[in-house]
Amino acid sequence: MASPATGLAVEVRDLRKDYGERPVLRGVDFEVRRGEVFCLLGPNGAGKTTTVEILEGFRTRTGGSATVLGLDPAAQPAELRERIGIVLQECGFPRQARVGELIGIWRDYYPRPRPLGDLLEVTGLTEDRNTPVRKLSGGQRRRLDFALALAGDPDLVFLDEPTTGFDPEARRRLWAAVENLRGLGKTIVLTTHYLDEAERLADRVAILLDGRIKIAGSTREVARLAALPAQISFTAPAALRAKEVPPPDGVDLAVSGPVARCQTRNTAATLRALLAWADRHRLGDLDELTVTTPSLEDAYLHHTDRSDGEPPA
Amino acid sequence: MKALRLTARQALMEQRSFWRSPEYALFTFALPLFLLLLLGAANGGSYLPGHIRQIKVLVPSILAFGVIAAAYVNLGAKMAVPRHDGVLKRIRTTPLPAGAYLIGHIVSTVATTLAIAACMGLVGWLAFGTVPRLGGLFFLAAGLALGIVCFAALGLAVSSLIKSAESATPITNASYLPIAMISGIFDPTIGIPRWLSGAAAALPIKALAQVLEDAYTPARHAFPGTALAVLAAWAVAGASVAVWRFRRQTA
Repeated sequence: MASPATGLAVEVRDLRKDYGERPVLRGVDFEVRRGEVFCLLGPNGAGKTTTVEILEGFRTRTGGSATVLGLDPAAQPAELRERIGIVLQECGFPRQARVGELIGIWRDYYPRPRPLGDLLEVTGLTEDRNTPVRKLSGGQRRRLDFALALAGDPDLVFLDEPTTGFDPEARRRLWAAVENLRGLGKTIVLTTHYLDEAERLADRVAILLDGRIKIAGSTREVARLAALPAQISFTAPAALRAKEVPPPDGVDLAVSGPVARCQTRNTAATLRALLAWADRHRLGDLDELTVTTPSLEDAYLHHTDRSDGEPPA
Repeated sequence: MKALRLTARQALMEQRSFWRSPEYALFTFALPLFLLLLLGAANGGSYLPGHIRQIKVLVPSILAFGVIAAAYVNLGAKMAVPRHDGVLKRIRTTPLPAGAYLIGHIVSTVATTLAIAACMGLVGWLAFGTVPRLGGLFFLAAGLALGIVCFAALGLAVSSLIKSAESATPITNASYLPIAMISGIFDPTIGIPRWLSGAAAALPIKALAQVLEDAYTPARHAFPGTALAVLAAWAVAGASVAVWRFRRQTA
């Protein structure tokens, strides 16, 4: 195993890429640990695909360093191809092949392939083994993409926007497949537009913006580092709605209809103040008391917001 | 050793895929055989200037046509389609060397081409009693070898220039059929302006037909050196374009 000391599957330092005069990557730094699901987020044109294609060995970098499984992808080592699996977007199959036959051919490309039956089972294609590829549905084709990417039993799998154009059912199935891969100890590098997908699947995320990593960390850290307020809500007691009791001091409570809400950057202190206030005015337990921490989506929108001010609360 | 095994496996897969696509198998095998039987039955008995029975020219001409259909059309279309379907990009994600993939295609094409050549030779013999003369076997071998190399190279070159999967087969067919006609492949007595026949002589179709004809007919000239040189020149030209385009596309 490469770079066992660091336990890193991918290490990117000051990665730069210019297309002609135009810099696309301006010094990208991040790392992917072994066995984790790592998600690269960012708006279109931020450089996600360029970054991933450099790691896959499809593009050469202009500067900086990149190490994948301890190897330099720019040197195009055959060993790297043997140990990574790539699920590309929108990629065709040979027109005349059948499912099982095509997977069989792909297995032959690798020194230590996964068993055919195993690949068919993991991707739910066992019954389509003899189906001609051109007769597969869109979802089945995507699963065949997976089967081919896993044919060599890779240590590291790249997934480029794997669920674009999927219906909710197909997305959930693919998520289950990714979690299954993680269970097998594979490292997964994912790019996606969907923040719920990243939040659901990723151990750690990095947000790429204008050719630099704006922020990286676990999904919780990234959400926390956005320093967005949490939201507390509860069912507004009748006495509060009738204005028979004053709103609590120091808490910016807003009542709309049956729900009372406030935002806070210190959840514990605000909860203590609210409960003390409820106690003082004999409002009982606050019904449906809920704390909503900022989601990855909130954090993403905050981090990628190009206007300088705070996003509207 | 591993690369060799992968190449062989790739060639086998291409063969299987070839026989599974009716449009390729039909164009490559059925069309030349049909043309040989039809033209041979219609015109084979008449005589060309110099008291040569026309069938002696038709068999090698259509044999040349078969080689072109198998090597040029096949390789041209079959390399362009996977490229545009994104299959090449997918293959680049695997450890399969690009060379093994390419050579697998070429080996498969050579096998197909030799099969069609053998088929045509057999039909020429069985249906029309026409066989190459003993002294012409060298020209037959040389013509087939150089012809396959030349048209495979040109096929690769044209495949690298084709812009979409849908246009692959029409473009490859349209690019050689008119030249085959003016080269007198289907009718050796075709009357065309002198400048046009001069142009045809500089093109590889006429050259291949010429070399194969010399294998079947009593030697009219000593050695088809010019025709072989034309084939070799086109082989180099085709290979250069193919290498240049493939380099650029994979860079």
